[in-house]
Amino acid sequence: MQFQLKTRQVCLFFIAFLPIIKLFSLPSVIADVAREDMWISTLINVLLDLFTLIVLIFTCKKCKTDFYGLLELNFGKVGSKIILGIYFITFMVKGFIPVMEQKSFIELALYETLPNFFNFMPFFVVCFYLCLKKLRVLGRIADVFFVCTALGLILLFALSLPNCDFTAILPVGARGSVNHLKGSYYSFNWFGDAMYLMFFIGQFEYKKKDGLKIVLSFVIPSLAVILFMIMFYGIFTSIAYRQFFALTEISKYTVIINNIGRFDYFAILFLLASNCFALSLPLYFATTILNKICAFNKRWISALIVTLTYVAVLLIFEQFSATITSTISYYFNTLFFITANVFPVCTALLNKGVKNENLAV
Amino acid sequence: MNISKKLKTNVEYLKKKLRSDDVEFLDITVKDVPVTLIFLKDVADKEALGELVLKPLSNMTAAPEKNSLENLFLSPEKTVVKNMEELVSQIVLGDTAFLCEGLDFSYTFGLKKFEKRPISEPPTSAVIKGPREGFVESLPVNISLMRRRIKSPDLIFENLTVGRYSKTPVSLCYIDGIAKKSLVNSLKKKLQSISIDAVLDSSYVEKFLGEHKTSIFKQVGNTEKPDILSAKILEGRVAIFVDGSPIVLTVPYLLMEDFQSPSDYYNSSYSATIARVLRLLSVSISLLLPSLFVAAELFHLQLIPLSFLLTIVNSIKGIPLSPSYEMFFTLLIFEILNEASVRMPKYVGMVVSIVGGLVLGETAVNAGIISAPTLMIVAFSGICLFTVPELEQILSLIRLVLLIIGGSFGGYGIIMAICFIAIYLVSFENYKTPLMAPFSPLVTPDLKDGIYKGFLIEQRKRPLSLKNANVRRMGQNGKRS
Repeated sequence: MQFQLKTRQVCLFFIAFLPIIKLFSLPSVIADVAREDMWISTLINVLLDLFTLIVLIFTCKKCKTDFYGLLELNFGKVGSKIILGIYFITFMVKGFIPVMEQKSFIELALYETLPNFFNFMPFFVVCFYLCLKKLRVLGRIADVFFVCTALGLILLFALSLPNCDFTAILPVGARGSVNHLKGSYYSFNWFGDAMYLMFFIGQFEYKKKDGLKIVLSFVIPSLAVILFMIMFYGIFTSIAYRQFFALTEISKYTVIINNIGRFDYFAILFLLASNCFALSLPLYFATTILNKICAFNKRWISALIVTLTYVAVLLIFEQFSATITSTISYYFNTLFFITANVFPVCTALLNKGVKNENLAV
Repeated sequence: MNISKKLKTNVEYLKKKLRSDDVEFLDITVKDVPVTLIFLKDVADKEALGELVLKPLSNMTAAPEKNSLENLFLSPEKTVVKNMEELVSQIVLGDTAFLCEGLDFSYTFGLKKFEKRPISEPPTSAVIKGPREGFVESLPVNISLMRRRIKSPDLIFENLTVGRYSKTPVSLCYIDGIAKKSLVNSLKKKLQSISIDAVLDSSYVEKFLGEHKTSIFKQVGNTEKPDILSAKILEGRVAIFVDGSPIVLTVPYLLMEDFQSPSDYYNSSYSATIARVLRLLSVSISLLLPSLFVAAELFHLQLIPLSFLLTIVNSIKGIPLSPSYEMFFTLLIFEILNEASVRMPKYVGMVVSIVGGLVLGETAVNAGIISAPTLMIVAFSGICLFTVPELEQILSLIRLVLLIIGGSFGGYGIIMAICFIAIYLVSFENYKTPLMAPFSPLVTPDLKDGIYKGFLIEQRKRPLSLKNANVRRMGQNGKRS
């Protein structure tokens, strides 16, 4: 039996890639609805994901096959392909908003002069290259890039903390539960990371106490995201929703920046490096699923299809990005909820297979 | 073809095969029996030949025959050869062949004497503290240097010959019980499968050992120092000695090896750690500084502090080239100067450095062709690169690529290029050993000899990244149990 990942890599995967995509435009999206209670909306999503994660850990513990084997065992070949097809659509759509916002971030925040569309193209080259690789490589990348994420977050927090007024989030719960739930619903696209564990079923050897490690590695970055939300609102208070790119705004007013320039860009560059992989995750899993459905001999075919689709959509519908974003937020959040939370929880009820079941490696 | 009992037939065959003028056919008669000695006259140790072969022959009281010859010769290296082709290859390797009328076999004596360079400190890895011996071009000398350090019957040398014409002796060296047998076998197989005219240096073999033929990254380690090689093979690596080359190859190779200097192991752990951090920092600066500077100048002016920005603006005023072209050409000039100073004789090289570095640079800045910050960045980047000399060529290539990307796509392009290289490096494996170990995959015990250089007493286990056969290298606290 050959495992692609180590438990440590699964843990570092969550630490390295979970928090970053939530630090760009998500804070302003939630702040628009939940204002000072934006952290509560975030917390709701985190708790939902945490519940899903815990259920999935139990599935990992009991499961004798991988996710694809599990589907085939319970739904047959055709049924499993239909479910995989739904996940393919989920990943293809889920990745779109973060990629779009990353593109806007690059164009508006990072470049002094308005760059060409092709300045964003290197991302797709990296993404395509990553999609060619086995899951093992993703684990190894997490081994290295969790340092970038941790360094970037620590530096960003250290720079932003002096300007933060924590009393701004008081009184707690003032916005009412409807707004909390709304904020949480609108941000489904950015959450649902626990779902990735479902694709790691059978890909790592589950040992005693591994569950606790995975939960902790999920909770720590989630807490960092909640802290970021609190700090973001603590700095910008009532105008928080107008700060479209929280990442570049949050540390802008630190004294050190006035003296030695945009020092915070180092933190941002670290986070951007990790974010490149975080953004590639939906495309990576879409590639894997497409390969499973179509049974291509060469993985590069599905990688190319997925990447080119993204490039084409971005290129053709560049002007309609706002419409596409709102359409996805309006119509697909329910799908995201089902695929990222409901179905993974249901895996607990599925037949886990018998020992020595063939593992896909 | 088997050796015939008729001496004339054998000699005629050999004369046909060995047509070169430096092959000597020495015909003598011992008690009326014709005998021929065949050797390379410029290679054979004639003194030893006379003393160990000819003298016993002249002292014979009876005609030479199989039984009387068996214990006659005093040469310590004596082999019986029954095949003509094998005899020819032994002769061209420098051995002396003995053929006698009536015998259907030949004796060969390893009586060769090549001129060799004395053992000296290798210029590529000079140390302030620690052994100064370096390997030389002679394989037997190199083997003796290893034997002097590891006096164990488990130190194994397996000899092979590579090269259709050069017939270069190649020796695999490892410690039985530490190196993985599968690795030794796979290397042996690879070496045996090499079909090339000549192996003139170990770098010829290196090209065949890598599993990724088109990779720009190194796949095989190397060293010129016996102390370093001893440490490496004690960690479970396999060494490949090539006759004629002072550079010994080691497999498997980890990228981290090149950030470890021999002196790290002879100095304190603290200074070694600081030195390694410096090397890593220098390599990062060297790779990224030119491209980041160009990207900042072209796309991200907000990254540069205002006072520094004013200095840059003043210095680039009137420069005819764009920042990326300016940096590209300055780097190109630096590379040309570097190449010229390496190729030229030492005293001329010094002049080239002075003329190129000082005069040319100063004049170019004064003439307004390049700006002072660009020149400073290129010079600094160049110096930083030489903190890890083994990777200098690869890194300078990557630096150039990063510069082009930085100039075309800006900072984001550079980040993406780093991510691309990271994916490439973490997925890179040679002989089932990940290049980026112990960092990716993370092998926590091996981090004690990563960037952080742990105390010797802490390193009780051999590197787990190398997947060796025997993990433990030290008793509890380094003491006998």
